Amino acid sequence: MKNNNRARMPGYLAGLEPLSRRGFLRTSVLAGAALSSGCSSLFGRREAPETLQYHSLTPDEVEVITRLTEVMLPAESYGLPSSTTVVPTVENIDMMAQRLPKQTRDLMGLGIWVFNNRPMVSFKFSKFTSLSDEKALAYVDAMQEGTFFERGLMTTLKALVALNYWRDERTWPGLEYHGPVTEMWGVRRLGNAPLPRA
Amino acid sequence: MSEVKWQASGLKVHEASDVTESHLELQADVVVVGSGAGGAVAAYELARKGKKVIVLEAGPYVPSQDFTEKFTNSLETLYQDHGGQTNSSGDLLVLQGACVGGSTVVNGCVCFRTPDFILEDWQRDFGLDELTRDELAPYFDEVEKNLSVHDNGPHEIARHGWLIRAGANKLGWSVKPLKRNIRECGLTGHCLSGCKTERKQSMLVTYLPWAVAHGAKIYADTRVERILAEGGEATGVEAVITRHDGSQAATLRVTAPRVVLAAGAVQSPILLLKSGLANRSDMVGRNFACHPSLLVAARYPEPVHPWRGALLGVYVDEFEHPDKGGFVLEDGGFGLVEMSMLAEPGSGAPFMDYMANAKYLAGLVTLIHDHNVGRIEWDGEKKKIDYQLSDMDFPSMQRAIKAAARLHLASGATEVYVPASDKRVIRNEGDIDREVGGLENLPQHLRMVSYHPQGTCRMGADPEQSVVKANGETHDVRGLYVADASLLPTSIIVNPQITVYALATRIARHMA
Repeated sequence: MKNNNRARMPGYLAGLEPLSRRGFLRTSVLAGAALSSGCSSLFGRREAPETLQYHSLTPDEVEVITRLTEVMLPAESYGLPSSTTVVPTVENIDMMAQRLPKQTRDLMGLGIWVFNNRPMVSFKFSKFTSLSDEKALAYVDAMQEGTFFERGLMTTLKALVALNYWRDERTWPGLEYHGPVTEMWGVRRLGNAPLPRA
Repeated sequence: MSEVKWQASGLKVHEASDVTESHLELQADVVVVGSGAGGAVAAYELARKGKKVIVLEAGPYVPSQDFTEKFTNSLETLYQDHGGQTNSSGDLLVLQGACVGGSTVVNGCVCFRTPDFILEDWQRDFGLDELTRDELAPYFDEVEKNLSVHDNGPHEIARHGWLIRAGANKLGWSVKPLKRNIRECGLTGHCLSGCKTERKQSMLVTYLPWAVAHGAKIYADTRVERILAEGGEATGVEAVITRHDGSQAATLRVTAPRVVLAAGAVQSPILLLKSGLANRSDMVGRNFACHPSLLVAARYPEPVHPWRGALLGVYVDEFEHPDKGGFVLEDGGFGLVEMSMLAEPGSGAPFMDYMANAKYLAGLVTLIHDHNVGRIEWDGEKKKIDYQLSDMDFPSMQRAIKAAARLHLASGATEVYVPASDKRVIRNEGDIDREVGGLENLPQHLRMVSYHPQGTCRMGADPEQSVVKANGETHDVRGLYVADASLLPTSIIVNPQITVYALATRIARHMA
């Protein structure tokens, strides 16, 4: 899918402002979509990442998102489950991508491609996936403080990664987050309210 | 009048899975479009007067016991567009319920009466002379009683609420317990995912079962595509019943001399636009306001656990009147998913540090009195929510953020996170003007959420400037009523559910 996007992408999109406003703005809707369909079915997913197949993300996209996850969520340093080898963050995003409408999925691919190929002069024209940890973080921060195109794209991608890590129940105990409690606490149901008195 | 058959739990709903024919023809005295705050109340009030009422809800029926208390799952199953409804520039998430019971199922239970100064604006600017405080008071009294609305007791104010209250007292700001429509709150903190034990007095467990007890029929999974009218009078609706896999189960036509449109301030104008009705004024879809809100989080030296206890406890009304700022602050709990997206603490170690210290965070929700500058449009294929925070409202937003920061600091916070797309952290009073004053009113700069869309079929006396009369009937089509937050001619600063309940009650009483 991403290769197709590349083929269709007009030449000017590879420049400093590679995303049209219209295209970018539609991409930014992914921040909302990240909260939506595909994600929700993944709460119970507990397979080890290496056992999973990618169904929607292309190998290039997996590489970009994996790298972003690594630099954005160094979880093990904080005593939390690894964001790449324990919690299947990237696989969760892959599952989400499978359920996105085609147009939105295409824009997601476009956003990932632009993000990876965006680093320009300050980063010696390297792709994001080629940057060192330090440079990769600097790039993310620069995008976050950049033009509204850049910060919108960065906010979207970071939301995708964060959401698909912290949705996993294994990340909760370390933060003392209780998750669902009604059944655990035995809170009884009250049923419907009685009819109002006339 | 037929026998009243109240059901102790659950709700009798016709779902797509019940449909066995490809087309259904139904007749009613009143067909109600939408089962949220306005639709449910109107359905009950009309059914108990002996009217044959049919309620059509586009969303699914999700029984309370099926609520998961997982926010991401809830967004998928209970919210409009699976939680992905945004404005056209993608920087405002517009969260609305899309299930039987509508937004009342997923709201935070907060209840306010319409402020007097708002009613005065409506009387002065829109000719709504009859909507006075005295006129509406009996309706407010009634719905508040029906829905167990009460001031939060001490046990319903969570740790974050107590902190905020102490800070407000220190600053000399007026702070009060919020009123909520809830019975014996279970203090789970999962209001936004629906109340699994039916303590929140949403329409799902109150007015809808009461309407059914009086004979109303509810159809879920049923999206109204067109309102029908002949000779300037409403005659019914056409709808499509859709299975949960997206396939069409049936078409439906309801013939009824009265139609109550209560699909919410985004969907209701779209339906009027699609139907080509009630738009002589060209006001349908215009005047969209939404209380764009921010969640201003702050870090405290002691654990707060913002997900524990009642979601919303107290509020600061010091600045409620437009002359004093035109905003309110509500202390608000949140879970990890919300927390991961509400601020920009940085990436890598700073972000992990922020998240790893989640239990030390507390939040303040800002609500501003925004102007009605937005518009809901329908291009023939899809809707468009055209809304950007106006330059008129941006100073109010900044004032609200500054006040939230001051309040957090007074409450003992050590770091306040400005909910912007770039990293802005306030550590003392001296930082406030720089960090908040430096914000710009640009797309993708603030992380805004709207829970209160309103204003898109506004009430007014002048048919050239408004869509609906004070009694809820459209100026242009006899028998076609609007009974949701679309009615509100201006934003009302505070959470609007009680206003909608009261107006819907009044409208239905006029209809009956």
